[in-house]
Amino acid sequence: MDNREPHPRRDPLFVLILLGVCVVTVWLLLMPFYPAIARATMKRFHLSTDSFALWAVQAPVPAMYNFGNRYEIRDLPEGLITPVIDASRPRYINHFPTRVLTFANGRYSLLHPGQDRWVTLWSSYRGQTLITKIHAKPIGEGRFEWIRESSEFLSPEGGP
Amino acid sequence: MDAAATPEPQTSDVETLSPGSVRVLWAYLIVQISVFGSLAWKYEFFMLADQVYHRLLLSDPFFPAWLQSAEVVRWAYLGSLAAIILGVVGMLPWVRTLSALGQVGCLGVLLIHQASHNDMTFATSLWASIWVFWFTTRMDRDEPSELFRRGAFLSRAIASMILLGGAVGKWTPEYWSGEVFFDIYFLDRDFWVFNYLRETYDAETLRGIATWYSRKVIVVETLFGFGLWLLPPKWAAALGMAIFFSIAFFSNHLLYSVLLCLVGLSSVGFFVPKANNGS
Repeated sequence: MDNREPHPRRDPLFVLILLGVCVVTVWLLLMPFYPAIARATMKRFHLSTDSFALWAVQAPVPAMYNFGNRYEIRDLPEGLITPVIDASRPRYINHFPTRVLTFANGRYSLLHPGQDRWVTLWSSYRGQTLITKIHAKPIGEGRFEWIRESSEFLSPEGGP
Repeated sequence: MDAAATPEPQTSDVETLSPGSVRVLWAYLIVQISVFGSLAWKYEFFMLADQVYHRLLLSDPFFPAWLQSAEVVRWAYLGSLAAIILGVVGMLPWVRTLSALGQVGCLGVLLIHQASHNDMTFATSLWASIWVFWFTTRMDRDEPSELFRRGAFLSRAIASMILLGGAVGKWTPEYWSGEVFFDIYFLDRDFWVFNYLRETYDAETLRGIATWYSRKVIVVETLFGFGLWLLPPKWAAALGMAIFFSIAFFSNHLLYSVLLCLVGLSSVGFFVPKANNGS
C-alpha cells in the first residue's frame, strides 16, 4: 500500500491547535463575567502573577490594547516633592504598562541616566483596578534591581 | 505520487491537485513571507533595542535568569528569522517541518522574555507560525482541496480569536468613552491621520472624534471576532486582509509588525477551490 495515501481524517495536530484556539477564546469571553479572569490578566500585565509558570501559560492569549492602563514615573519616592519627569499626569499606554521599564525605548529613556526611578502603574477593567508600584534601583555598571513595592487591587472584590 | 490514491472529484468545479502541488507551496510561502515581514518590519528598532538590553540590565526575580538575558532575546529573534529562511529554501518536507518547529520555539521564547513579552508582534507571529507548523506536516500528504479547506478554517479561527482578544479587553468604560485612544493617539501621536485631525478640528471636536474612533474599533473587533470564522473562505480572506491592513494604515505604521502575518494568514482563504468555497 502506498504510504503517501491522503489521510484527511487523521490530523490530531489540527484538532489540538483548534482546541487551543477554543480554550483561549472561552477564556477571553468569560473575562467580562468572571472578575477573577480579569484580575489574572491585570496581574499578567503588571508582572505580578503568583508564579512565572502561571504568567507564561497566559502568554499566547492575545491582549492588544486591553484595559485602561496608565503609568506615572517619578524620580523621587512617592510623598516627596514634585517629580521632574512627566509630571503633568499619568499617561495611558496600550498594554503591559510595565513596558515603560522593560521595553527598548522606555528602558533607555528612563534608565540611561543611571538614577532611581519610581513607577506607578494602574490597570482598570469594568470597575476593577490594579495598582502596582515599582522601584528601579541602580546597582552599578548599568544594572538595575526591580523592586516590586506593592501590587494591590482597589475594588472590594479584588482586594488582596 | 500514486494517482489512484487521489479521491475522485465530485463535480466538474473541483480542482484536481496533487499533494505538494505548486499551489500548496504558494500558500505556505505567502504565510511564511508575511511572518518574516512582520518580524523584519521593526528590524532596525530591534537592533537598537539589542544595544539597550546589553547596556541596561534589569534584575527582576520574577523572570528566570535566562529569560532576562540580552543574548537570549537576540538569538531567539535572529533564530526565528533564520528558521523561516531555512524553511523556505529547504525544500525537503522534514526540513520545513523542523524549521517551523524552531520558528515556533524561538517566538515562544520571545513571548515570555522580559524584554519582548509586551510586543504583540511575537504573539500574532507565534499563532501564524503554529499554523505554518501544522501546514508543513500536511502539505505533502493531504489532498489539496481538503487541506486548503481545513487550513482556511484554522486561519479564520485564529484571526477571530485575535480580534476577540482585542475586543474583550476594550469592553470597559475607558475605551467606550474614547479616553484611552485620545491619550495614546489623538493628543500628540505624530502620524498622518492624527496630525491631520489636530490641524483640522478644535479640541472639543477632536475629543468627540476619539470617542467614535474608539467605538468603531470596538464594534469592528467584536463583530468580526464573533463572525469571521463563520464566513465563506474567500469572503473571510478579503475581509480579514482588509481589516488587519487598515488597522495599521489608519493608526500606526509600526503595527504592521503585528498585523502583516495576519494579512498573510487570512489570504489562505483565497486558495480554497471553488467547489469548497462556502462549504
